[in-house]
Amino acid sequence: MSGARQQILDRIRRAISGGSAAPYSDLPRNYVRHGNLDEAARLSLMVERLQEYDADVVECTPDDLPACIADRLQSSGKHTFVAPPGLPVEWLAAGFDWKLDHGLTHAEVEACDGVVTACFAGVADSGTIVLHHSASEGRRILTLLPDWHLCVVRTSQIVETLPEYFARCPKPPALATYISGPSATADIEMTRIKGVHGPRFLHVILVHDEGLAEVRNDN
Amino acid sequence: MRASLFITCYNDTLFPETGRAVVHLLERLGVTLEFNPGQTCCGQMHANTGFRAEAFSQAKRFVRLYQDAEAVVIPSTSCVAMIRDQYHGLFQELGNDALRQQLTSLLPRVYELSEFLIDHLGVDDVGAYFPHRVTYHASCHGLRGLHVGDRPFRLLSKVRGLELIPLDNLDRCCGFGGTFSIKNAEVSSAMLSTKLQDVLSTRAEYCTALDNSCLMHLGGATHREFAPVRTVHLAQILASTQSVPAESLA
Amino acid sequence: MTPVDLDPRTAPTFPQAALPILRNAQLRKNVAHATDVIQAKRARLVAEKTDWQQLRTAAAAIKDDVLGHLDQYLVEFEERCTATGGHVHWASDAAEARSIAVEILRKEGATEAIKIKTMTSTEIQLNPALEAAGIKAVETDLAELILQLGDDEPSHIVAPALHVNRSQVREIFARRMGLADLTDDPEALTAAARAYLRKKFLSVDAAICGANFLVAETGAVTIVESEGNGRMCLTLPRTLIALSGIEKVVPTFRDLEVMLQVLARSATGERMNPYTSLWTGVTPGDGPQNFHVVLLDNSRSSILARHTERQTLRCIRCAACQNTCPVYRQTGGHAYGSVYGGPIGAILTPQLMHMDHAQSLPFASSLCAACYEVCPVKINIPEVLIELRAQVVDRERKQAARAFDLMYIGMRVANSIFASAWRFRLAQRMGRLALRPFTHKDGWIHALPSLGSRWTMTRDLRRLPDQTFRDWWAARPKDKV
Repeated sequence: MSGARQQILDRIRRAISGGSAAPYSDLPRNYVRHGNLDEAARLSLMVERLQEYDADVVECTPDDLPACIADRLQSSGKHTFVAPPGLPVEWLAAGFDWKLDHGLTHAEVEACDGVVTACFAGVADSGTIVLHHSASEGRRILTLLPDWHLCVVRTSQIVETLPEYFARCPKPPALATYISGPSATADIEMTRIKGVHGPRFLHVILVHDEGLAEVRNDN
Repeated sequence: MRASLFITCYNDTLFPETGRAVVHLLERLGVTLEFNPGQTCCGQMHANTGFRAEAFSQAKRFVRLYQDAEAVVIPSTSCVAMIRDQYHGLFQELGNDALRQQLTSLLPRVYELSEFLIDHLGVDDVGAYFPHRVTYHASCHGLRGLHVGDRPFRLLSKVRGLELIPLDNLDRCCGFGGTFSIKNAEVSSAMLSTKLQDVLSTRAEYCTALDNSCLMHLGGATHREFAPVRTVHLAQILASTQSVPAESLA
Repeated sequence: MTPVDLDPRTAPTFPQAALPILRNAQLRKNVAHATDVIQAKRARLVAEKTDWQQLRTAAAAIKDDVLGHLDQYLVEFEERCTATGGHVHWASDAAEARSIAVEILRKEGATEAIKIKTMTSTEIQLNPALEAAGIKAVETDLAELILQLGDDEPSHIVAPALHVNRSQVREIFARRMGLADLTDDPEALTAAARAYLRKKFLSVDAAICGANFLVAETGAVTIVESEGNGRMCLTLPRTLIALSGIEKVVPTFRDLEVMLQVLARSATGERMNPYTSLWTGVTPGDGPQNFHVVLLDNSRSSILARHTERQTLRCIRCAACQNTCPVYRQTGGHAYGSVYGGPIGAILTPQLMHMDHAQSLPFASSLCAACYEVCPVKINIPEVLIELRAQVVDRERKQAARAFDLMYIGMRVANSIFASAWRFRLAQRMGRLALRPFTHKDGWIHALPSLGSRWTMTRDLRRLPDQTFRDWWAARPKDKV
C-alpha cells in the first residue's frame, strides 16, 4: 500500500504548507508539573485514593515486608500464585504453590489464583500504580488473568502528580500499564460495577523505605 | 455621558417596551442617549444560518453607523456576541483592512446593557423597584460569549422588593437558537419543555434574562399553556421604580 | 424499535431522525440520567483541578503542533513502530482500511477476531466486511456487547449503550446467552458478560483495537479503558491490528502527561481511568507477536487543509461535548445518523463525507457553546458549525430548487430589507399588517401558516405592537433629556 502512503503524505503536506506554527519547545506548559505535598501527606493521599477504589492497603517497613506478604497471602484464602521471574526470592512466602513465570502458557497463568508483583511508580493524585513490566513486575498477562493482585509499592516510588512520574522515567518504557483501581464499567445505567475483566481484587503493600518510623494500618 | 442605542431589529419590531425601558433607565442615570435611525440589524441571523454573503453588508452597515459613537449600548447579548466574535472574521474574509481597523477601534465602545451599567457607568444600584418573585435565565451568548458573569445578579440584588429565586440549570440553553427554533422546531420545543420545568418549579412570577430572543421563546410557551409565570427583559425590571412602575407586561 | 441508521450516506436528516426519539420517553430518560451522572463527576474533578485551564491550553497546543507537522510525526511514528517489530499500513479511505484488515486476518487464517471498542472501526464499517470474509467480529466492551447482541447501534462515544436500561440488557443477555434466570441487577448482568467473554479472550487468536494516542517519538500505542477487555485483547492473541485515524498522534511520550489528565476527567469524570495500556511494536514473549497499525486518512487530510475546520482534528474522543449538549440530551446519539454524534459529530461527520452528506448536522445545534466550554482541547465547535452552515448554504443556493425554498427566499428578502432603513420601516409596517388576520383578541397569535407554523406548533407569538421603538423615539418631544 505504498501508493496510499505517498498519496496521504502528499495530501497532508499540501494541507499544511505555508503554515507557521510555534516550535514544539515553545508550547505552553503552565500546568502543574510538580506537587507540593510533603511525604506524609503524599502517602496519605495515595492511601486515600487507593481505598476510594476499594483497593486494600496495608503498610510496613522493609524488614517486615516478607512477613507482610505472607500475611496478605494467608488472608486471601488462595493457594496458587504466579510470580514474575525477577520477584525477590524472600517474597515467595512458604506454604503456597508458587508458579514462577519462565514462559507459562495462558492456561497455566489462568489456573493461578493470584499474582504478586513489584511496580515502577505510584501516582498519589489519582491512586495510580504504574507497571513497566520489568522482571520483578512481570509480563502483562500475569497482572491480567489472575483474579487477585498483590502489588508491593515502595514509598520512595510514589510521586504526587502524573507529570512527576513522567519526569522520573529515565527513558520512555516500551511497555506500561497504568492501574487506577480494579476494572469497572458504568455501561448499565451508569451504575459503577467493579471487576469486569482483569483482577477484581487489588491489594497494595506500601513499604516505608524512606525512613518513616510510624506504621499505620487502618484496616 | 453620551451613548448611542442599538435597539436590535427584533426588539424594535417585537419588544419596543424593552427599548423604552432602556431609555427611561439610562436617562434616569444621566446618560444622554442617541438613536441613529439608519440602524437595522447586526447580521446575526444570516451569519448563523449560513448566509454569510448577506451578513457582510449588515456588518459593514453597523460599523459605519457607529464609528464615531462615544459608546454603543445594546440590550441583547447575542447581537453583541455577533459583533465581537464574528465581525473580525467577516471583514478578514472580505479583505477589507479599513473596516477591520474601524471595527478594532469601535469594539471597546460596544456594550451589552448590563456591561454598560456595571463597567461603563460603574453602578449596580439603579434605583429600581420591582416587588415580585423573579428568576433569572442565563442566555447562552451572555454567559459563554460575553462572560457577563455576575453582572445581572449584582443588578438584580439591588432591586428593591425583588425576591430572586435561583433557577436550576440556569446555564442550560432554552432551545431558541435563532433559526434553530424553526429548522429544528421539535428539538427546540423539547429543550424548551425541559427549561420550563425548571422555571415553573421556582414558582417565580417572572422569568427574566438579558435577551428577548430567549424570552420570546419561553414566553410563547408559558402563554400557550396559561402558565402562572411571565417573561420580562431585565431592562424593564431595572427601569421600574416605585413612582413609575414597569409598563404593563405581557 | 425503529431501526437505527448510522450510515451518513443513507441516514435521515437530523430533524427527521429526532422526531421518533423525542417520543421515546424511556430513551430520553436514560440519556438525561447518563449525561447528568458523567457531567456531575466531570464538574467535580474539574473544580478541584487548579490547573485545568492550563492543561486545556497545553492539550490544544500539543494537538495543533501535531496537526501543523502531521507528516513528520506520522513518518517518525512509522519508523519507530517498524523498528520495534510492528507493521505500519496506510489507508486513504474506509475501503482500503477494511481490505488491509481483512487481508491480515485472512493470512493468519483467523475465523474470529475479538474487538475493543473503536469508533474508527464503526466509521469504516469494518464488521460487515469481516463477516463477508468469513471472520466473526466479537465485541468485548460490555456496551458494545450489549449492542451487538441486541442488534443495536451506539449512541454515545464513551458509553455507547447509555440509551439501554437494565431490564433491556437483561432481556438481551437472557435471550442471546441462554440465561433464562438472569436478573436485571447490573452486578449479575456484568458477571454474565464476564463469563461469556472470558472464553473468547482465551481462545481467539486475533484482535482489533483502535488507539487513543500514537506516540511519534517512540512508536508506542496507548489505549485507555475501564473494563479490562482492552488489556485482554492487547495481550492474549497472537495477532493485533490497531486502527487509528492519522490525527491520533502525539509528539512525545511526555505529552501523555497532559493528554491523560484531560481525557479521563472529560470522558468519565475520573482522575485516571482504571486501565491505560502502552506498548511499542513487539516485545518477545509478551503480547501479540504479529502487530499491525493501520493509519487511516478517510477525509482527515481534507479537514486539515481548511483553516477554521482544522481544529476538528484535535478531538480526543472524550465525549464531554455530548454529555453537556442540551440538544443531545433530548435526542441521544442515534438522531445524528453517524457513529459520531453530538456536537463533535455535527462537525466531524459532514466533513468526513466531504460535505456531500449529513448536511443537516451543522444545523442540529442552538449554538449555545456549552461544548466549547468543556472541550479539553478547546475546539470552538460553534465556530466550525457556523462555517459548515455557510458551506452547505453556498452549495445549496446554486441549486435551481432553492428558488422556491421559503427559507432561501426569506433570507434574501430579509437581507434587502436590512440593507436600508426605509425598507426596514416599510417591512415592519407590512409585517404588522400581514399578521393582523392571525392576531386574536387577546393580542396574541396562536397559529401561523407555512414556516411560521413551525413556531406556533408549540409557542404563541405576541402581536407586533402598533408602534415600533423607532417610531416611539421619533415621536418623542425633542426637548426631553
